Amino acid sequence: MTTSAPRPYKPYRHHKFLTIHTAPVSCVKFSNDGTLLASSSLDKTLAVFSAQNLTLVSHLVGHSEGISDLAWSSDSHYICSASDDCTLRIWDARAGDCVKTLKGHTNYVFSVNFNPQSNLIVSGSFDETIRVWEVKTGKCVHEIEAHSQPVTCVHFNRDGSLIVSASHDGTCKIWDVETGQCLKVLIDDKVPAVSFAKFSPNGKFILVATLDDTLKLWNYSTGKSLKIYNGHVNRVYCIMATFSVTNGKYIVSGSEDNCVYLWDLQAKSMVQKLEGHTGAVLSVACHPTENKIASGGLDGKIRIWVQD
Amino acid sequence: MNAPIIDPLQGDFPEVIEEYLECGIMKCIAFNRRGTLLAAGCSDGSCIIWDFETRGIAKELRDNDCVVAITSVCWSRYGHRILVSAADRSLTLWDVITGEKITKATLQQTPLLARLHPGSSTPSICLACPLSSAPTIVDLNNGSTTALPVVCEPGTGLVPSSRNKFSDGSAPFTPSAASFNKYGDLIYLGNSKGEILILDYKNNQVLGVVTIPGGAIIKNIVFSRSGRYVVTNSQDRIIRIFENLLPLKDGLRALNEISESIEELEGSDKLKAVGSKCLVFLRDFQDTINKVQWKVTCCSSDGEWVVGGASIKGEHKIYIWDRAGYLVKILEGPKEALIDLAWHPVHPIVVSVSLTGFVYIWAKDYTENWSAFAPDFKELEENEEYVEREDEFDLVPETEKVKESDVNEDDEVDILTVEKDSAFSDSDMSQEELCFLPAIPSPDIPEQQDKFMGSSPKLADSNHSEYPLSEEAQQNGHAMNNGSTPAEGLDNSIAEDTGGTCLKRRRKPSEKGLEMQAEMVRKPLKKISSGKSSKLKNRFAIERDTTSFCAYDDDDDGGDDDDDDNDDDEYE
Repeated sequence: MTTSAPRPYKPYRHHKFLTIHTAPVSCVKFSNDGTLLASSSLDKTLAVFSAQNLTLVSHLVGHSEGISDLAWSSDSHYICSASDDCTLRIWDARAGDCVKTLKGHTNYVFSVNFNPQSNLIVSGSFDETIRVWEVKTGKCVHEIEAHSQPVTCVHFNRDGSLIVSASHDGTCKIWDVETGQCLKVLIDDKVPAVSFAKFSPNGKFILVATLDDTLKLWNYSTGKSLKIYNGHVNRVYCIMATFSVTNGKYIVSGSEDNCVYLWDLQAKSMVQKLEGHTGAVLSVACHPTENKIASGGLDGKIRIWVQD
Repeated sequence: MNAPIIDPLQGDFPEVIEEYLECGIMKCIAFNRRGTLLAAGCSDGSCIIWDFETRGIAKELRDNDCVVAITSVCWSRYGHRILVSAADRSLTLWDVITGEKITKATLQQTPLLARLHPGSSTPSICLACPLSSAPTIVDLNNGSTTALPVVCEPGTGLVPSSRNKFSDGSAPFTPSAASFNKYGDLIYLGNSKGEILILDYKNNQVLGVVTIPGGAIIKNIVFSRSGRYVVTNSQDRIIRIFENLLPLKDGLRALNEISESIEELEGSDKLKAVGSKCLVFLRDFQDTINKVQWKVTCCSSDGEWVVGGASIKGEHKIYIWDRAGYLVKILEGPKEALIDLAWHPVHPIVVSVSLTGFVYIWAKDYTENWSAFAPDFKELEENEEYVEREDEFDLVPETEKVKESDVNEDDEVDILTVEKDSAFSDSDMSQEELCFLPAIPSPDIPEQQDKFMGSSPKLADSNHSEYPLSEEAQQNGHAMNNGSTPAEGLDNSIAEDTGGTCLKRRRKPSEKGLEMQAEMVRKPLKKISSGKSSKLKNRFAIERDTTSFCAYDDDDDGGDDDDDDNDDDEYE
């Protein structure tokens, strides 16, 4: 319980926008050390920028189809991208060359993440499976028949022992990494589709987005939903949401009404709506240490918002 | 982290071989503190560090000067250093992260066992137990050695000071076993007369003696991970467990206090009295039927189970007892002799090394927890009488009309604090622990990508559904031939590995696993895992981008992947 008066909310303002992509931007992510920002797009390329001055560091070309998701390794050296050409590619972020290609999925790869130790990669695909890959050799360690419809999101927890997966079949499941077994099913309603799921920084809670304009925070061990965040529009696209913890705790999400929404984590009230995009905002990312938000969407531009 | 949702009721010891690792001929193994890395010493002088999570090689420590077999490996406390002892009488200290040799010492005799001082993260002293003389303390910085007293003179309690002579005339070629206690301030040494000597090695003084009835030569002496139990393996084929009564942190001081408090006794009586206050005999374990000679013994990580490894008639056998003395399990492995054994520090996993150089990983036999698929399903241990509510069969039951959420939505949710891992509560995190070696993806070799042959030898029997075979390019074929060493079985990543050593991973299903697989047909397995009983055919469209319209057809189950079809062909 807070005994001191809550800090007045300082609004974010638009800082800059980056136009490098010629097609919608599907994902933006800051590296763990905060020095780089990567973006992936349907124009089949990824771009890496310096987070400080937003200059282009490298442009990663190689996929033959559009890219849906990207992930940074913990040491901020490697990026893994998930593409519609059914492969994943591991890139050296600064040098810009593709180090490895992971083949195995039989349909679009939609979501990818490294584990905290960065020796494993988990990927979710339209072929309804989740695959866990070993980074060093590129071998597929597990192939899990996870869902009955496309898998929309996969994420490791804080110590890399669990994977949460979300799918259009309306379920959100938790898997054990070591054995590939399903440990728990968090949601099992057939509608609405679950478009996004992510562990909280301490691994105890899962933020889940469903295609009925709702974001929920679940305690996965009790299986109860604790908080609900509303106000945005999310019916069609798999929009990413994230936690902002650098200056107070907030939930940040994109929306189909072209805005970025921020909610207070505890109070569930919407604190700000960032306008500026001219298309649905598909992805948002928070800088690990600074009060900076990056967003990308259908208009193909990446916008940077800072807090004064 | 996942403790709340994993069923705690299953017995906590391994049951079947889950997998085996092969790379060269491995001789001895050691886990790091958290069990994330496994170091294995090979017969060609190199030490391989396996990443236990991915079951792949993380690093290889190779010394070009040393080409003889490694006799033991030991991690430093936080995993930054590894001490390797080899058959050419050398002790080498490696830095794990850089893979560089830090220092090398040569002893007079081949050390069978070498242990780094467990108290510090950059230890400079280690304990070496040579083949045929007293255990010595080796200072790694200057290579000096100090022999430890192996016997204490009866009557006088004095200690012979000479190095290789035994003044009571005991045979000079009997090896003695020794071990540091948990924080390294004392050494517990088991000698050839069946006595455990508690030594203050800094002053080279015997402080206490515990006699084992029967007086058989003590071959191994090990501490449990918590430091509370001591397990000995003796020549009389009995494994004994003792409880360590000394406090863990300041054992030496407590021992000195006990020593001072017993004033009325002198000499060896005094030592025995002190000894009895430090170690208390709890129980012995043996195989009464076969009178098996134990090769290795150790304790489980939580001290609940005592493990003895033996090779009877060239067979791989691991006996597991609980601390009360009951034999709970005998793990039988392939017909290869067992030479080393280790229990994982955290999980109920046992790793054993066989004479042929394979490392077998024993784990619990995982059965799919089907009730996990229903979110509000509760598993019951036994039948519970169900008493129905008054309005159970009403058209609109009272209780359902009022749907209250029993969770206070205004409660604060803490997303940042991390709970401390209770298993490692004794760690003082003054030093950063090395849990993982950075995984650098080995670059693809371009021509290999197209060359992959589509048919890798298929299984005659399928393994667990979690590790299915896949026909796609770049996928490894986990080819499994029952029993004998798989010779073919193209593992595509082998072709890509730039390393010279051949690395193969195979999984051997247990008998039980095979039976279970025979019962469970694969197709329903897929359906069940999807949570529905029959797949609905629906045209599904997802728009993630406006430029390309992706329409996804939910095809009929039978013709879905190549996997499925091929598996059906082979599957009986």
